[in-house]
Amino acid sequence: MAEPATELSLDPAAVLAAEEHEVAIVGRSPWYLAWRRLRRNYFALFSLVVFVAIVTACFLAPVYAHQVAHTGPNETHSAETVIVSGKPTQVISGGATYDAKTGEFTVRAVKILGPTWWHADGRFVLGSDNLGRDVAVRLLYGGLNSLKIGIGSAFICTFFAVLLALIAGYFGGWADWIITRFFDLIWAFPVLLLAIALGSALSVNGFHHFGIDIEPGSLWIPTLVISYVLIPYVGRPVRGQVLSLRQKEFVEAAVGSGAGPVRIMFSDLLPNVASTVLVFFTLIIASNILTEAGLSFLGAGVRLPDPSWGNLIASGQEQIVSAPWLTLVPGIAIVLTVLSLNIFGDGLRDALDPRAKVRIEH
Amino acid sequence: MLAFIIRRFAGLVVVLFSITVIVFLLFFATPGIDPSARLAGRNPSPETVAAVKHEFGLDRPLPVRYGLMMKRLFISRDLVSYGNQALKVVPAITSAAPVTFSLVLGAAVLWVVMSIAMGLLAVTFKGTVVDPLLMIVALIGISMPVFWLGEVLNLITQDRLHDTFLFSWVPPLGYTPFTENPWQWFLHLIIPWITLSVLYIGFYARVLRANLLDIQNEDYVRTARAKGLPPRRVLLKHMLRNSMITFVSLFGLDFGFLVGGGALLTEVVFGLPGVGRLTFQALQQLDLPVIMATVIYGAFFISIMSALVDIVYARLDPRIRPS
Amino acid sequence: MTSKRRWTWLLSVLALAAGFSLMVAAYGVAANRTKAAPKQAHKSVGTLKAVLDTIDYLDPQQAYTGQSWWAMWNVWETLLTYRHVDGPGGYKLVPGLAASLPSISANGKLYKFKLRKGLKYSNGQAIRASDFEFAIKRGFLATGQGVGFYTDIAGAKAFAAHPTAGGDISGITANNAKRTITIKMAKPRGDFLTILALLFAAPVPAGTSPAIHNGNIPASGPYRIVGYDPNRGFTMLRNRFFKPTKNIPRGNPNRVEVSLIGDANTATQRVVSGSADYSNAAIPPDRIASAKNRGHLILRKTANTYYFWMNVNVAPFNKLKVRQAVNYAIDRKALQTLVWGGLGQPTQNVLPPTYPSYKKLTLYSHNVAKARQMITAAGAKGANVTVWTREVSDALTAAQYYVSVLNSIGLDAKLTTLPRATYYTTIGKRDTKAQTGWARWLEDYPHPLDWFDVLLNGNRIVDQDNNNYAYYSNKKINSSIESLKKAPVLTDAVNTRWAAVERSIMKDAPWAPWSNRVFPEYFTKKMGCIHIQLLYGIDWTRLCRK
Repeated sequence: MAEPATELSLDPAAVLAAEEHEVAIVGRSPWYLAWRRLRRNYFALFSLVVFVAIVTACFLAPVYAHQVAHTGPNETHSAETVIVSGKPTQVISGGATYDAKTGEFTVRAVKILGPTWWHADGRFVLGSDNLGRDVAVRLLYGGLNSLKIGIGSAFICTFFAVLLALIAGYFGGWADWIITRFFDLIWAFPVLLLAIALGSALSVNGFHHFGIDIEPGSLWIPTLVISYVLIPYVGRPVRGQVLSLRQKEFVEAAVGSGAGPVRIMFSDLLPNVASTVLVFFTLIIASNILTEAGLSFLGAGVRLPDPSWGNLIASGQEQIVSAPWLTLVPGIAIVLTVLSLNIFGDGLRDALDPRAKVRIEH
Repeated sequence: MLAFIIRRFAGLVVVLFSITVIVFLLFFATPGIDPSARLAGRNPSPETVAAVKHEFGLDRPLPVRYGLMMKRLFISRDLVSYGNQALKVVPAITSAAPVTFSLVLGAAVLWVVMSIAMGLLAVTFKGTVVDPLLMIVALIGISMPVFWLGEVLNLITQDRLHDTFLFSWVPPLGYTPFTENPWQWFLHLIIPWITLSVLYIGFYARVLRANLLDIQNEDYVRTARAKGLPPRRVLLKHMLRNSMITFVSLFGLDFGFLVGGGALLTEVVFGLPGVGRLTFQALQQLDLPVIMATVIYGAFFISIMSALVDIVYARLDPRIRPS
Repeated sequence: MTSKRRWTWLLSVLALAAGFSLMVAAYGVAANRTKAAPKQAHKSVGTLKAVLDTIDYLDPQQAYTGQSWWAMWNVWETLLTYRHVDGPGGYKLVPGLAASLPSISANGKLYKFKLRKGLKYSNGQAIRASDFEFAIKRGFLATGQGVGFYTDIAGAKAFAAHPTAGGDISGITANNAKRTITIKMAKPRGDFLTILALLFAAPVPAGTSPAIHNGNIPASGPYRIVGYDPNRGFTMLRNRFFKPTKNIPRGNPNRVEVSLIGDANTATQRVVSGSADYSNAAIPPDRIASAKNRGHLILRKTANTYYFWMNVNVAPFNKLKVRQAVNYAIDRKALQTLVWGGLGQPTQNVLPPTYPSYKKLTLYSHNVAKARQMITAAGAKGANVTVWTREVSDALTAAQYYVSVLNSIGLDAKLTTLPRATYYTTIGKRDTKAQTGWARWLEDYPHPLDWFDVLLNGNRIVDQDNNNYAYYSNKKINSSIESLKKAPVLTDAVNTRWAAVERSIMKDAPWAPWSNRVFPEYFTKKMGCIHIQLLYGIDWTRLCRK
């Protein structure tokens, strides 16, 4: 079966990698080669652009809040009236009314202002929530929190996972046994359960040991919780790689030439696992954003009134019938972000090492 | 091989023991976990609080408390919840487990069938628009928060389109035991099954596709083709069968993870009284006995499944058997 | 693979999908058809199918939730009870197991009861006078949740210190032959009759073990409970040994099947779909309007007050002006809409309007500008405030609004949320020094003491498990409460004095009360004869079908 010339494939990098066998590629660094492959994967590059755009938008949240929406993420405007397309509209209207004379209630649905798009001078572009707050502003601030947690915990998690994997893989023996059991321990704990357990345990008084002070309600709590629970997902496969590299001649040679363990770990072993780590790093951000959303949905992540995509969905679902945009908007934001990261991560993996098998569990 | 199995199970016991100790310490360090004030009612005298403390052994040193709890959990099996003393922990779990099993089992069937179909279709139609389309769909499935998907499906099936012919069959949220009414059991679970399986369908379809593409140039596949076997036969008999090794081991891990409480979000969204939701409620109430029992239950399944997968894998593929 | 074969593949898959959706559609149509079939109308209830939120216990000495009392009210009878009538008459104490109201000595320390003749439990055993003392002792032995109410009985404190099955509470004497019970108090207590009407004091057969019983203690009321599973539900059947009286009717349903469902949406759906007759789940504001169209929605007023407390010992709330400013700043009417879709009455009172002592207060009319000025005048501008709330949807909504209000009048407020289980213990601890936050109070028994004495009497402030979250202590108020405590009957004069106490408290503004919530009670359209008992809610014994 002949391959068509213009193949519609999700992994053109693999095709390119195959082509490269025929082309002279002498003297190029592997990173340059990876970039060459990635450069031609327009789909992955496009995803990267989308992701960067989302990140930029979220980091511009304060600008949007002040210049466009003229409100903060936690400010309520429930009693106000907004001019939508020239028509004054109440932000929140309706609701049951009480007649003091008869002592009876008349049940009526509460009406929340829906998306105004651009018909209200930038106010309530994506509508209002049940407390009269601007959903667009909360979405951007929420995205900021979700991204901070996602990217921050990806850094922390990768750092510790790689460190532990290097130690386990280099020293082997007891160090390896202890670290592997530690991975097993975290692994055997259902991710969400452990995160909720830690989240709610820390939510009361925060953490004040070993000279570290974390206030309850701090973003650090979900960040650390998520990075902790995902350590084995990165640590295990990297340890496996280090273990097999440890047997290679160049490492034996370095040991023979009298290089210390720290030097071998960081200047010989680390560069060889770097490409795997980079791919993991990208994909784990996506996974972290989903985990954060799940945690906040269950009330163990970002604390209200501070928004995050997860807790926006959680508070929105109470109004899902009358104000579905409260649930749909942050959900779509999550899907777009995670999807773009996943596609880019895929492309990156193919570019760095078309044969790598990287798996992230949500 | 036997030594390997023994070592694997010894490790499992160590892990389970450490988990119970960690949960215990984690929650006894939490302020407000002490249930005596809650149990003593709204106008408790100090004597009452002291009496409750004594009754629950809360005035004893930590290791003794740990021992007492483990004894009541495993040996006398009469551990009661801190929130509701009428709730015995062990029966609570045994009555929640079938719900979780029903949910996970159905979803597993769905995701295995669908992902194999999608993987095979993608490989068969590689080079056409079908393959990337399927893979994009799979990626979207992986990128959706499961609770959000559940909420949106609920919105559609319970409200927006509930009165149309499409979804009028969808029963209200909740669970009907299989023994009570198998048909209602099935109807109640259809939407939860779909929700839970979407992520795994996407994931497994991608893994399977990658795997099939990897082995399509292996010698035995080429030999089979050269013998003139029809392509579908090669695909199903030779390639798919081989890919099943990875597939099955992944499946084992995910299945253990979900049965052990990983389906929590789905259970919460659909109001299914399974183990995950039980744990979640216990966590909200900081109800340590229930948390303890459910976490042990979950860890047990996850560890058992991962040990089994290791063993099966080692049997199937001697190359990776650890020395 | 040829392209032709490829198409057959694709087509077969498509065909399968189409077939499946047709099946689904066909079934959908069939389901619609069956729904349209009319059902014959009945008058008697027969079996009542109810859905309740999760409950705690079905053991009179242990249960402490409105949900369990709703059911148990007609299972275990107390010496005194409340009438099965609508309106304020429901608060009136009437003889239950007792033959008549007791005689009370002039100093309010001696109560004499006589049991009715021929009383029997559901197992045929006679109800004896000594079973009352046994029940009180059982409460102490089991460290039941209600024992705190009975410590003023002479000898109860001594018994509570060393409770033994063979021990005795010296203040209670019973004569089984004459069916008399005499209760001696260590000190008078104005609300003691209502406390005797609590289910904690319901007699149970002597010898019942202190361990928690799941509904299987022999009943003394018109119904008995079988098959209680805390995760699923229970059933109530008629007690054939029960003889109705003027105050305790036989009850209409032959059988009540109760399912316990924590999720409000699921519970509401059960009624909509007709698989249950009744649910008391708090229907989310989002769905209340549609629920109203699909069933029979009753809005029940109960004795409750939702309020924000302000700790008078901690800056900036140690300043009267700041506390009053907060009271001015809150838009109470808007809060009803935001928090429960309008299903609540704005209030500035401590007491709910169902009380005879209630006198509507209008001290603070909504005025943000004035509040802002008062904050500036008090020098509290920019003061840091931590608002506390618990992680329950309505409390979170109310507290988020409260934070934004505090910020709008010039304070610098942030929110701390705690799990439901630890909330009250944490804010009730003096060391927490919690500044301000959310709270609510639902009555235990209909008496002003259950409010002012428990929540605002400075003499009752304790270091732990404190109920006076504002740490409000005003010597004059404290002594007024103490002296009113001695009045055993709520006469008009006593009620006026309570209203005066309430007014001076609210001028001091330790609280910003904002709502008396009404609770949705939801029935299928077929249910009729819906009556509300002020204390116990829907009176299910009187329900009928249309």
